Amino acid sequence: MNTPRTIPVWDAALRQFHWLLVAAMALAAVTGFLLNATWLAWHVAGGLTALALVLFRLIWGFTGSTHSRFASFIPRPADVVAHLKSLTHRHHTAHAGHNPLGALMVLALLAVVLALAVTGLGVLGGMLKQGPFKSLLSFAAGRSFREVHELAAWTLLAMVVAHVAGVFYESRRARDNLARAMLTGRKTLDAAALAARHNQITASAARPRAALALSAGLAVLVAIPAIMGLKAPPQGVPPATLDPAYVKACGDCHMAYPPSLLPAARWQEMMATLADHFGEDASLSAADAASISAYLAANSAEHWDTLAAHAFATNTSPEPLRLTTTRFWQRLHGGIPDAVFARTSVATKSNCAACHGDAASGLFAPQMINVPKE
Amino acid sequence: MKRLIPALMVLAGLAAPALAGPAQDAQIAAYLTAAKAADPGFAGFSAARGKAFFMADHTGGKPDTPSCTSCHTKNVTVAGQTRAGKAIDPMALSKTPDRFSDPAKVEKWFGRNCNSVLGRDCTPAEKGDVLSWLVSQ
Repeated sequence: MNTPRTIPVWDAALRQFHWLLVAAMALAAVTGFLLNATWLAWHVAGGLTALALVLFRLIWGFTGSTHSRFASFIPRPADVVAHLKSLTHRHHTAHAGHNPLGALMVLALLAVVLALAVTGLGVLGGMLKQGPFKSLLSFAAGRSFREVHELAAWTLLAMVVAHVAGVFYESRRARDNLARAMLTGRKTLDAAALAARHNQITASAARPRAALALSAGLAVLVAIPAIMGLKAPPQGVPPATLDPAYVKACGDCHMAYPPSLLPAARWQEMMATLADHFGEDASLSAADAASISAYLAANSAEHWDTLAAHAFATNTSPEPLRLTTTRFWQRLHGGIPDAVFARTSVATKSNCAACHGDAASGLFAPQMINVPKE
Repeated sequence: MKRLIPALMVLAGLAAPALAGPAQDAQIAAYLTAAKAADPGFAGFSAARGKAFFMADHTGGKPDTPSCTSCHTKNVTVAGQTRAGKAIDPMALSKTPDRFSDPAKVEKWFGRNCNSVLGRDCTPAEKGDVLSWLVSQ
C-alpha cells in the first residue's frame, strides 16, 4: 500500500493544449521580441493561435477530466499559505494535479496570454488599421494598447521563467519529473498523495462532446463580431487610390506619394519650390499647381490617423521635405544595406513602392513589404 | 527606267523618317516656324546635330543631371530611369509610338529638362534637331 503508483493525471487534450501554447507563444515571442515588423503576419498567427487555445482551455476547465478542471485546482488562500509553509520544510506533500502555487501560476498565465492577445489586436487595429478593431480604435488608443501589450509581454516572459523554475524545483522536491508528466500525462505518486487525491478531489470524466459543442458555440460568438469588425471601414485611413490628376502631374518621375505623408505646411513649401525640386526642375502650369496644392492641403497628414501620417506629421528633420532624412524613416530602414537601395528596381531610397506594395494607400502595412531581389 | 522609278521611291521611303505621323510632323513644323522666326537664315533641322546635343554633357544645369542621357541613357531604344526610380519609356518613336504626339507634354518636358540639364530654355532649333533625330529612331 505504501509503494508509489504511476497514474494518469493530465488528459491528452490538456497536454496538447500545453505544448501547442508553448509553440504559439514561442513563435509570438521570437517574432515580437527579436525580429522586425516584416514578421508581423507570423506574430499575429502565433497570437491568434494562442487566443484560440486559451479560449479552448477555459472550456476544458469545465469539461475536461479531473485535473483539467478549474474546480480541482483553484486553491483556497489557506491552501496557498499551507503550501508556502511546507516549502521551507523538509517533508512535502506531492500533488496529483497542480500544487496551489502552480495553480495560481496557471491561472495567471492564462490571463496574461488572453490580455496579450486582446491588446495585440488593439495595437493592430489602432496603429496599423488592421484586424477586427480597425474601425473602433484611434491611433492614440492603439499606442496605449501597445504599451500594455509590451508590459504584458515582459511580464509573461518573467512568468514563464518562474513557471519553468517552479516545475524544476517541484520535480526535485517530489522526485517526479513534472515536465515529462506533461508529455506522458502520468505522475508517480506515493500513498499519501494518492490518498489526498482521493479525499480532496472529485473525480470527473472528460466530456469531449460538450467541449466540442461549447467550442463551436464560442467560435461562432467570436467570429460574428470579428467578421463585422473586419468588414467595417478602418478609422482615419485615406482612400486607396490617389487623385488621377495628381498622379499624372507628380507620378511621372517618382512614385506619387500619398498626401498623408506630409503636413499641409510642408506640401505648401514643396509646391512653392518646384523649380528646384530635389535638384530638378519640376515646374507645373499655374492651373495644375493650384488644383494640386488644393488636393494636397485637403488630404495632408493632419487629416488621417495612419501610422505614417502621425510619424511624418511631427517631422523635425533639417531637410523636412525629404522623408528619408527623418529619424522615423531611418529607424525603420536602418538595417537595410545600401546595396538593396542600389538595385535596379529600387534605384533610390525615395522609391517606397519598390518594396511597399501598398505605398499608394499610405498604410505601409508590414505584411505588404516585399523587397525585390534585383 | 519605268522600273527604276518605283524602286527609287521604295529606297527613298526607307531612308526617310517614315515613323513620324501627322502629330509629330506638326510638332516639328511648329518648331521650324519658331526657329525661322528667331533666325531668318535658319536652314532646317539636322538629326545628327540633335543626336550630338542629346548625347553631350552640358554645363549650367543642375549638378545631378549634366546630360539628357543622365536619365534617358545613351540608347534611346531602351527604357530610361528617373533619379527617383521611375521607368521612362524609350525616347525612340519606333519603341514608343505615341511619343511627341501631345504638344503640351512635349513643351512641359523640354521646359523642365532643358532647365535641369542646361540651366536655360532650349531654343526651337535645338528642340527641332532633337525631335528630328528621335522620330527617326
